[in-house]
Amino acid sequence: MNVEITGLTRRFGRTMAVAAVDLQAGPGVFGLLGPNGAGKTSLLRVMATAIPPTSGRLRLLGRDPRGSGPRREIRRRLGYLPQNLGYYRGFTVAEFVEYFALLKEMPSARIPLAVAAAVDRVGLADQSRARLRTLSGGMLRRVGIAQAIVNEPELLLLDEPTAGLDPEQRMTFRALLRDLGQHATIVVSTHLVEDVGAACARVALMDRGKIIFHGTPGDLTARGEGHGTGDAPLERGYSAVLAAARP
Amino acid sequence: MTVTRAPARSAPVTSRPGLAAARLLRLELRHNAMLWMMPVAVALFWVTAERKIMATPPLWSLRAAGLQPDAVLAFASPVAGAAAWMGSRESRRRTTDLVNITARPRPVRLLATWAATTCWALVAYLVCVAVVYAVTAQQATWGGPLWWPAVVAAASLPAVSALGFAAGTLVPSRFTAPLVTIAAFFVLALSTQLINGSQSYWQISPVVAAPWDIGPDPGAGTFYPYQPDLPIAQVMFLTGLTVAVLGALTLSTGAGARSLRRSAVAVTAAGLLAAGTAVALAGTGRLDRHGMIAIPALHDAASDRPLRYTPVCSHTAIPVCLNPAYASYLPATAAALAPTLDQIAGLPGAPARISQAAVTYRQGPGNSVGFGLAGLPLSGVPPVFHLLLPVELPGPAVTTTEQASQVRSIIGPSIIASVTGDGPGASQAQHAVTTALLMAARAVPSHLLPPGTPTAGNSVPGPPPVAGTDGEPYVGAAPGSPAYAAAQRFAALPAAARRGWLVRHLAALRAGRLSLGQLP
Repeated sequence: MNVEITGLTRRFGRTMAVAAVDLQAGPGVFGLLGPNGAGKTSLLRVMATAIPPTSGRLRLLGRDPRGSGPRREIRRRLGYLPQNLGYYRGFTVAEFVEYFALLKEMPSARIPLAVAAAVDRVGLADQSRARLRTLSGGMLRRVGIAQAIVNEPELLLLDEPTAGLDPEQRMTFRALLRDLGQHATIVVSTHLVEDVGAACARVALMDRGKIIFHGTPGDLTARGEGHGTGDAPLERGYSAVLAAARP
Repeated sequence: MTVTRAPARSAPVTSRPGLAAARLLRLELRHNAMLWMMPVAVALFWVTAERKIMATPPLWSLRAAGLQPDAVLAFASPVAGAAAWMGSRESRRRTTDLVNITARPRPVRLLATWAATTCWALVAYLVCVAVVYAVTAQQATWGGPLWWPAVVAAASLPAVSALGFAAGTLVPSRFTAPLVTIAAFFVLALSTQLINGSQSYWQISPVVAAPWDIGPDPGAGTFYPYQPDLPIAQVMFLTGLTVAVLGALTLSTGAGARSLRRSAVAVTAAGLLAAGTAVALAGTGRLDRHGMIAIPALHDAASDRPLRYTPVCSHTAIPVCLNPAYASYLPATAAALAPTLDQIAGLPGAPARISQAAVTYRQGPGNSVGFGLAGLPLSGVPPVFHLLLPVELPGPAVTTTEQASQVRSIIGPSIIASVTGDGPGASQAQHAVTTALLMAARAVPSHLLPPGTPTAGNSVPGPPPVAGTDGEPYVGAAPGSPAYAAAQRFAALPAAARRGWLVRHLAALRAGRLSLGQLP
């Protein structure tokens, strides 16, 4: 298992963002669903080693990130796209991706090819010399994905990756996810259930810091039969699970 | 987006940290705020410093000593501001999470950004130094560049950059950079306000290039070797400060590995130790007799020996010889003294040569400093008259015309007085003869002319108040006094008669054995 989480809790002051979460994920695409404020981003930030857990056990890629050495090893094999992508306006697309390749301590000799490949995979090869300040929101999102995958990560954490993408780009992105998921563990946090249905092999649903469902998209769809509200079967399953979990 | 297979992972390629660091630095160099601030820094230097420095006489010591504080003040604010801006970049651009979860330790990443900022600052600074030194090399008649002041200013840039960067990193805000910009200027500009005498810890400030009370000594590097004692302490302080700030920044930004934290603690401690030691050393500095700050622990006694040089001399009745660094002043000086020298040339006891000497300094209580000639103006066999050019003396800069005027009004009378034995306690006859010779040379200081006498053509302006025993004006015979009347009579004699009388009676006159009535 590339992700092993046991009883993980994360507090921000009095707010319990993640409450005693247990989760395991191996290679493949794992969807993390949930309404706004459910704790998806906090859980992803803990998994990205951006913030430490308040309590609980976390192992990533078979290592405990509490030690600086293992944490560094994890980070070399990690890709992360935060919900709000910050970027340096003067950098070109290629420079921004190269910057992160360098920060991820990729072997120097591999960087030029890896950057070109990552930029190409997100469909920005023609804009590789464009400055980030000239790009649209959707293009910036793709730059964010490119920096996340430049090191061919074994663990890829994507927070709302399809936000701002048009339908065509979204479909292509799902295909990219499926492709990457053949070798790596990909955790996709989203509130768009169709992304989960199209790309994820397994899915967890979070609400108020807790995981209230864990299974396949088919399982989630099944939970919605005859219950819940929504236009699509998966959406009905989503709303049914949420409704059942709430008092 | 295209779904293409990623290149298959090949055999592990050994990472070369040096190459990766160079690539990171290259990226940071391309996208650094200091790149945009370089024209501002250079323009500030041009407006506030370059013209001021170039207005000083073309002596390496003056140009270098002017360069150091002015360059520091011109560059500090833009560099500190740019560094603070870059230090706050991750927070301003909301990339903190994104970059913090990368494998490369945060201090290394920050160090690359700081290094790029500092590199551009140094490039801009070095361009300015190159211009100042290139022009000086063309104008200077002797000597070579003094590098220590330039090194001190250069060492101040990484320190200022590190402080600004640390402020930007630790207090990331849009307001940090402008505030740091303003603070950098005021801290440096006010850092000298507490200097009291030559034994002050505050001399460690990089805007101090010479004894603060008297300013740069033109004799450094011309008569005596430049003493790098204070610059060594300043460079030590600035390097220590830079290292300490960067070490502390590493600690405060959460250095990951224990070894890195230990290294950061050691580096911070070493930096603080070096900076503290340098401050302590600066506190032991004292003004030496050559007008430089000597720090006993750093002082090289060999550098107290005078420099060897071949003087440049005029072809006047008595040769006027100057240090070759002052060669450009020789024609004006010789012309100013020639009429006076014509009056005494060949007389018994008259100087065989007028030779420029170095100023000697003495620290008084508090901020007071005494300066002047080391010995008697006229000494040696054959006698040599030692002069101090006004341009050598501390005080406001003088033009060539002002310098020539002061030479005529101060040095001319002094040379004649040294021949007649005139001075405090001299006889009325000595006063009268000295004044008469000045009248004959048409070089009477204006304070010795009767009130209402037009000054053009037959006199020189009265001497300005110059401190020190060797710059005091000649007193002479007061207008309206019997001695003054005797002087007028003696001056009215034909030149040959005057000379003949002087040849016969100069020894008696100098011994004070002649009275006014014995003058022709």
